[in-house]
Amino acid sequence: MKIVTLPRLMLVLAIVLAAIYLFPLYWMYVTSLKGQSEIFANPPTFWPRDPDFSIFPETWERRHVGMFLGNSLVIGTGVTALTVLLGTGCAYVLARYRSAWIDVGLFTILMLQVLPASVMITPLYVGFNQLGLLNYPRTAVVLAASAKAIPFYIVLVRATFMNVPRELEEAALVDGNSRWGAFFFVVLPLARNGVLVLAILTFMQAFGEYIYSKSIITTQAYQPASVGLSGFLGPNSTDWNGIMAYAAMYVTPIVAIFVILQRRIVAGLTSGALK
Amino acid sequence: MRRILSSVRDGVGFDILLVSLTMIFLFALAGMPLVYNVMMSFQEVDMFNLGTFWRPFVGLENYQAVLSQPEFGLVMKNTAFFVFGSIAGQFSLGFLLAIFFMAKFPFASTIRGVFLVSWVMPGLVVGALWGWILAGDFGVLNAILKSLGIIDSTLFWKSDPSLSIWAVTMANIWLGLAFNMMLLSVGLAAIPRDVYEAAELDGANAFQRFTSITVPMMRATIGAVLALGLIYTLQQFDLFPAITEGGPANSSSVAQYWAWQRSFVLFDFAKGATISMMMLIFVFIASVVYVASTRHEVRE
Repeated sequence: MKIVTLPRLMLVLAIVLAAIYLFPLYWMYVTSLKGQSEIFANPPTFWPRDPDFSIFPETWERRHVGMFLGNSLVIGTGVTALTVLLGTGCAYVLARYRSAWIDVGLFTILMLQVLPASVMITPLYVGFNQLGLLNYPRTAVVLAASAKAIPFYIVLVRATFMNVPRELEEAALVDGNSRWGAFFFVVLPLARNGVLVLAILTFMQAFGEYIYSKSIITTQAYQPASVGLSGFLGPNSTDWNGIMAYAAMYVTPIVAIFVILQRRIVAGLTSGALK
Repeated sequence: MRRILSSVRDGVGFDILLVSLTMIFLFALAGMPLVYNVMMSFQEVDMFNLGTFWRPFVGLENYQAVLSQPEFGLVMKNTAFFVFGSIAGQFSLGFLLAIFFMAKFPFASTIRGVFLVSWVMPGLVVGALWGWILAGDFGVLNAILKSLGIIDSTLFWKSDPSLSIWAVTMANIWLGLAFNMMLLSVGLAAIPRDVYEAAELDGANAFQRFTSITVPMMRATIGAVLALGLIYTLQQFDLFPAITEGGPANSSSVAQYWAWQRSFVLFDFAKGATISMMMLIFVFIASVVYVASTRHEVRE
């Protein structure tokens, strides 16, 4: 009797815990659907009395959500492309050999991973200013954010490459492939899933990037959604259903991708993060 | 020339090419700025000489100026509170959840995975959600606490100087909790089951099993998670502009936000660089702990 009910009880408890933890997300969607007066009702209602979806098109129009999300997409895509391009090969080499030089390389990358963006932004901004890169603000942000993303990406993708058997690559080389051929046609396809998951993770991070964009991009037409949101968010905000509607439109694609790929993302993260 | 080309195609040149491209990029966009930051912290930087490298050298003047700022002590105190509060909350709650989810029941790993959604959300959105939850008169947290009878007057989380740092710390605990849980779960899963079974046969109770098996065997994991916690907490920036903007009167400002404000609100880049340098010392201490606890894999 006890054996049958205990797992059930644990399952119920787990769902309750998850519900408490994800309450902020639920509260965002519920608030966005409430009318202006219901938001300030005391005590608050936990289900909108009269769900009103018109806030979404209205906020989209008024807060230029389309334009901001477009810029986030440009920055996210740029960072992901550059990170995958530069990080994948490096991670492969760092996984392939064991020597003192590889240790030095890994140590350097681990050290670069820990530099806070708030520390790097001051010298990057002044340096970009001197190089004239501030005239291409989105490119500048892509460069800065890639430098932040690459070390993290390398550490995790390296763990994926470690799982590819060396023998397969050696067999390909014996069969007359060049190193390029062995890498692109044998090793990379075998590591495809890990690389893909981490590319998606890189994209999600870059899609939400804030500090570099806020500091570097001053023209509103080039700002990403995070900076757009900060424009009407602060300690004295009152337009809460607008903010929540904006946040919902911004975050729903990311949450959807996460839910679909959850198992793989968790596996990709845990395989390398602690190693 | 041909030897180099053939090495790139068939030999070690291929590896060197792949690594060096990345290293050059990282050197230009992370290494150089770091050196430049050190340089600026010893220079006088203003709007007129922003475009040149050779600015007047002022020795330790910037450091003295930062130390003598009236808000310096407050910001350091807030940073310490934010860092230790966040790590303590994330780690203890994360550990409890990780242990809970080690139990065998249906969908355990799926439900555990769902928690990680907090970690992939943009920091500014998390800040917006918590800014609304913590709102004074209409925030849902106050309403819940009141209905549970825990508080009887409204708490102004964001505008009360004695609570504002709690507001950002709570939001950061929520944000980082799932990541801590996930890493600790990996560590827990690596402990062989039969060690526990043997201890149970020997009559060790749950608490004894935890202190004499779980904690010692998790030592490397715990070290890495705590060090990563320190690193990520010092990197956390987005919650501050979203929730309190460091206010009221710097009561919730921390070193990373203060440094950014110096550079990008007051355009005092030298002081921004100087505060950053002071922060980097802590970051490097954390990195050494992190690398030391992951050394076994790096050396392998």
